[in-house]
Amino acid sequence: MIGRIWAIALNTFREAARIRVLYGILVLVVGANLLALVLGEMAVHDESRVARDIGLAGISLFGSLTAIFLGVFLLYTEVQRRTIHAIVSKPIERWEFVVGKYLGMALVLSVLVVVFGLAMGGMLLWQGGGVTAAVGKALILSWFEVLVVAALAIFFSSFSTPFLSGIFALALWVIGRVTPDIERATQAASPAISAVTKVVLRIVPDLHLFSVSGRSLDGNAVSVHGDFVPWSYVGLASLHGIGWIVWLLAFAAVLFHRRDFV
Amino acid sequence: MADLAIEVAELKKTYRTPFRRKKVEALRGVSFSVAKNQIFGFVGPNGAGKTTTIRTLMGLIRPTSGTAKLLGHAIPSRLARTRIGFLPEAPYFYDYLTVGELLDLAGRLFGLDATTRKQRADRLIERVGLDRARAQSLKKFSKGMLQRAGLAQALMNDPDLVVLDEPMSGLDPSGRKEVRDLILELRDQGKTVFFSTHILSDVEAITDRVAIVARGVLVGEGTPAELVNRHILGIDVVVRVPREADAELTAAPAGITRIRRLGDELGCTLPADTDVEAWLARAHDQGAKVVQVVPRHETLEDLFLRRTSDPAPGEPPAVAS
Repeated sequence: MIGRIWAIALNTFREAARIRVLYGILVLVVGANLLALVLGEMAVHDESRVARDIGLAGISLFGSLTAIFLGVFLLYTEVQRRTIHAIVSKPIERWEFVVGKYLGMALVLSVLVVVFGLAMGGMLLWQGGGVTAAVGKALILSWFEVLVVAALAIFFSSFSTPFLSGIFALALWVIGRVTPDIERATQAASPAISAVTKVVLRIVPDLHLFSVSGRSLDGNAVSVHGDFVPWSYVGLASLHGIGWIVWLLAFAAVLFHRRDFV
Repeated sequence: MADLAIEVAELKKTYRTPFRRKKVEALRGVSFSVAKNQIFGFVGPNGAGKTTTIRTLMGLIRPTSGTAKLLGHAIPSRLARTRIGFLPEAPYFYDYLTVGELLDLAGRLFGLDATTRKQRADRLIERVGLDRARAQSLKKFSKGMLQRAGLAQALMNDPDLVVLDEPMSGLDPSGRKEVRDLILELRDQGKTVFFSTHILSDVEAITDRVAIVARGVLVGEGTPAELVNRHILGIDVVVRVPREADAELTAAPAGITRIRRLGDELGCTLPADTDVEAWLARAHDQGAKVVQVVPRHETLEDLFLRRTSDPAPGEPPAVAS
């Protein structure tokens, strides 16, 4: 089982490499760092603050957009091009194929996060800001955010077209990042609206958990530039992310299992 | 039964069109069986249900009803698929891979170790004549080369049963001969080969048994000899006779066809139920000398056209890929 899943994952990673997705990632990294340099020069104090903000925002934004872009095509293209015929006719279960595709994409996205992280770290060291534990924690949280978004995209890709999947995944990414704000905004509304909103938000991944810098957590302000979340928070948020990934992949596998490949 | 490689019973598949939800019956109760160590040809016109049957057997499509077993395992069976090699119709593989990488991927999915993968890939690449294209990505392959790569990946697991959907498609005459030779070689190795095609000369040349499918149902099954020998379509006769005798000799019996004159010879096809001796006696009276009398048997092509052309009363034509 592991061997088959790994074979699909490796092939998915190879595809991303061959179609030059990884070069695209490098371009994004260079672009983001150039932006950080320019904005850092414009900042009166603390250029490293700009580098951290741009670096983390870059990982979250470009990572999530790459996850959506790659994810929505992942299963759809296999079915449309009929490449899947030569694969699922071999002794592999369809869920293994879905998991393998996801892991391959997760590998690509991890490369993106690592390259972004290294670039940001290099920039911080160059500017004399140093790489703190808070930066490490924020990186791990961003990585999980990207992995959850990838699972969202692959879930929609298991039954929908890339266009619709992209819209759904993008919408859930945006909603997921502002769930506390939506909840707060609807508190003043009627109890019915508030209740419905709460239920709806329960079925959306809480992506804001992965980008807590600048927010208030249990009444305390947390920031990657100062007091940040403890490691226990990072662990729990990561588990939360893994839970969502497992659920989304399970649903994707069930939907994919029921499909006819004509 | 242990000696059957494929058992299909009353297999049905009904699709619904996306918006109007109109029913399309691709398979309307297909039943047949394939004994082990046979070459079985599955023929039919476009849209007959050949590919739908094969995709159902390979687990790509779920049947609406009916049952099927591959090597004794009810479909879909992962266990059975470990012993089956499959070439899809007009195969499309990951075009960023080389043929070696494609075979390596197939080997990994079959659970082969690295040494076996390498050895088999090398042997198969050479066997299908792609040795010189090893370094090229599949993107640069012609249709015929892709077909060869597809055959190679179908044989990576040294299968007991090989299922080939239109394996001769896209190949030139020499390529088709190579595939025919390969299929015969596989049978000699004790394997079962099930292949679909609409190239009837290939079927007549190599199959042990044939099934003809049309409009989602089987319309004939047997050995090529069994299927075609049952019918004599007419008797081809050629006699050397003066031109003046043509009208007299072709006037009776009714139904004489393919009348032609080649120099001093008259040729025609008498109806199958003609009293040939009486006709020849009449010809002799006109001064004819017999050159040739040959009963014209039905060819597989005749049978194919006859069985697949006219839908049974009340049967709407079915559409299948």
